[in-house]
Amino acid sequence: MNSNLSDPAFWSRFQFGFTVIYHYLFPQLTTGLAWFLVYWKWRALRTGDERYNVAARFWAKIFAVNFAIGVVTGIPMEFQFGTNWAGFSRYAGGVIGQTLAMEGMFAFFLESAFIGAFIWGEKRLGPRFHLLAAVGVALGSWLSGYFILVTNAFMQHPVGYTVGADGLLGISSLSAYLLNAWAWVEFAHNQMAALVTGSFVVAAVGALYALRQMHPNQSQLYLRAGTCVGLVASLLVAFPTGDQQAKMVGRHQPVTLAAMEGRFEGGSMAGVAMIGQPNVAARRLDNPIEVPGALSFLAYGTFQSYVHGLNEYPADAWPDNIELLYYSFHLMITLGTIFILLMAYASYQNWRGRLESNTWLLWVLMLAFPFPYIANTVGWMTAELGRQPWLVYGLFHTDDGYSKVVSSGNTIFTLIGFIGLYFVLGLLFLFLVGREIAHGPDEKAAVDTRAGMATAEEKEQVA
Amino acid sequence: MIAAWYVIVSAMLMIYVVLDGRNFGAGMLHEFVAKTPEERRQVIAAIGPLWSWHEVWLVGFGGTLLAVFPKLMASAFAGYYLALFLILWCFILRGVSIEVGGHINDRLWQGFWDFVFVVSNFVLAILFGAAAGNLARGVPLGADGNFSMAFFTNFGVRGHVGLLDWYTVSVAIFTAVLLAAHGATYLTLKTEGPVHDRSATWAKCLWTAVAPLLVLISIESWVVVRPHLRVPAIHNAACWPGLLVIAISIITLISGLLSSAERRAFVGSNLLLMGLMATGAAAIFPVMLYSTLAPENSLTAYTVAASRSALLIASIWWPVGFALATTYFAFISRRYAGRVCVKRDNQGSY
Repeated sequence: MNSNLSDPAFWSRFQFGFTVIYHYLFPQLTTGLAWFLVYWKWRALRTGDERYNVAARFWAKIFAVNFAIGVVTGIPMEFQFGTNWAGFSRYAGGVIGQTLAMEGMFAFFLESAFIGAFIWGEKRLGPRFHLLAAVGVALGSWLSGYFILVTNAFMQHPVGYTVGADGLLGISSLSAYLLNAWAWVEFAHNQMAALVTGSFVVAAVGALYALRQMHPNQSQLYLRAGTCVGLVASLLVAFPTGDQQAKMVGRHQPVTLAAMEGRFEGGSMAGVAMIGQPNVAARRLDNPIEVPGALSFLAYGTFQSYVHGLNEYPADAWPDNIELLYYSFHLMITLGTIFILLMAYASYQNWRGRLESNTWLLWVLMLAFPFPYIANTVGWMTAELGRQPWLVYGLFHTDDGYSKVVSSGNTIFTLIGFIGLYFVLGLLFLFLVGREIAHGPDEKAAVDTRAGMATAEEKEQVA
Repeated sequence: MIAAWYVIVSAMLMIYVVLDGRNFGAGMLHEFVAKTPEERRQVIAAIGPLWSWHEVWLVGFGGTLLAVFPKLMASAFAGYYLALFLILWCFILRGVSIEVGGHINDRLWQGFWDFVFVVSNFVLAILFGAAAGNLARGVPLGADGNFSMAFFTNFGVRGHVGLLDWYTVSVAIFTAVLLAAHGATYLTLKTEGPVHDRSATWAKCLWTAVAPLLVLISIESWVVVRPHLRVPAIHNAACWPGLLVIAISIITLISGLLSSAERRAFVGSNLLLMGLMATGAAAIFPVMLYSTLAPENSLTAYTVAASRSALLIASIWWPVGFALATTYFAFISRRYAGRVCVKRDNQGSY
């Protein structure tokens, strides 16, 4: 791709990037939150403690709004394979179509059948089946993540394919394709990162209520679950999943690893830059402060390992935006480290029983929730910018993938439409979720529920 | 094998149209059959928790199309570019209006989303109708298997056609009326009180309007636009089941409407949609996208299919997925059987 703004490939890439980044703000919360709902429904069933049902009902409302926006922004993603990426669909559709279709047939049907039952059917289903519905939603959402990540893993590290006589890809082994080692590492890393988002949001709402001295029982639940899951998930994102992911990149995409670190010279004892700005024209990292040997160790297991530099590869094999790739990767690493420190300290305070009284920590937890969204986004930007200039790594260039019959004029038109529509959707989402959070969990209904669940709720609904 | 996949992909699209068509229809009539906020909640509740499940059929169709006919998806989706994005935006607006309309008990808020809901459903019905018209008429496919189409050119049906011409517009209008009738029949079955009575009246009017339109569209399609398809279709045994289903559905529908047997009428309405699409799909096979420029440019199922191994692999998992989907369907249909009750099936969790 050239950097000319009249290039149709640029606009198709920009549109896909914009719509997919926006879309993924919603599933990443539901992916994590689904297991909180399962946990609370399970605790409620086991202990009979109504607080857990109140928590599940409150978070189900936030889940429902997220899920709805996730569904409506997700459908354009599948369509864009055909509309904007016809070259790619023609070339690789025989392989990646398998998982896109499986996602619909196995994951979406499961998820959409049970989400209705979970949100609307508490009374009709009874506690046991309601828990089952929550499990169905959680499984559906993780299964859908798996199929999509298999698709992405094929683009990063193609396996299980053949090249036909017409030069197009065909699938040769479904098991090799589905069990792509890259897919499993990516899936584990991504799902843990989604769990980080979920736990930070749960903890932030708990901190908000604690600071406002509202809903003390509920805020305690959210803070405890949020910080505990948050610590475990933040650790798992870094090790082993993030570590394995980096090793995978080092093994299969060495030029990408060099670009992620802004390394132009190859060598052993390669460091990880704490600070530094890549200067691609001069082929160096400006103002670097490095941890020596860290990259060699992380990517290949010893401090002496040789790490390739960009100078060893022709410039047309480099990812086409090294600067953005470098910053995305470093922002992800920095945020991931901060998440571990924050959640470790919060868990320690929780263990000492001082979490709810530690005002400044509550403030930090409350304000921290946007950062996992940023970390997830830059993590995905690292993966996708790092894959360039390939659409299917080593096989098919991004420049060959976009729809040649669609003019820049049409793509810019639809991009403007998406920006406008998604801006309105964003306002709507913030308004509705803000309203739910301001309204808070309905603890009064919980008291009524014990007296006679169905009648109390029916009264409420009639009113 | 390729023919079997043609049947499967067409069937998925048909299931989608029959299931979501009722939502399009009910949505278009939303403001007309329901006057008060409570009545409007009743219509939304009739569509309610199932709309996203219905939409999954379209997603499943899109994914399966990419898996087994990748070249068709590439060519058709890029060619229908603007029309598809209009459809996507209407889907977004429709989904949002169902989901958020019930969240706030406020006249202005609900009135706004009710309006968005009606308009987006109407535009969706029109666009899907135009798309069906385009499938029947053909598109300006070049020798490289690609096409790019403007919204309209000279409104003719030959050569460099646009998305809209006199034929596709008439099919779009027919589709909107047909789906509205389908939706009204569904609402008659699912609601009670004034909404039920108004829906029953609308159903009768709309079905009366469908009859002459159906005759008109048939003449247009078989005599004017694609005359050379007529004789092979009559001799093609694959078209007969579809024609038989149409005949049965008309009898069922008329007897159901006349005797106020609501379930029978709705079954007839579903069968009619199925029969029309099945006959069309059988008649055009193996051509999936007909070229208005030169018939030899047409994309057939055999030229756009994925490799044999891809079709074989898909044949292994697809039946499993379909069986699971049918199981969920049986489960939720049983749960939502009978007329809706706003108190119980309220949209939104509160």
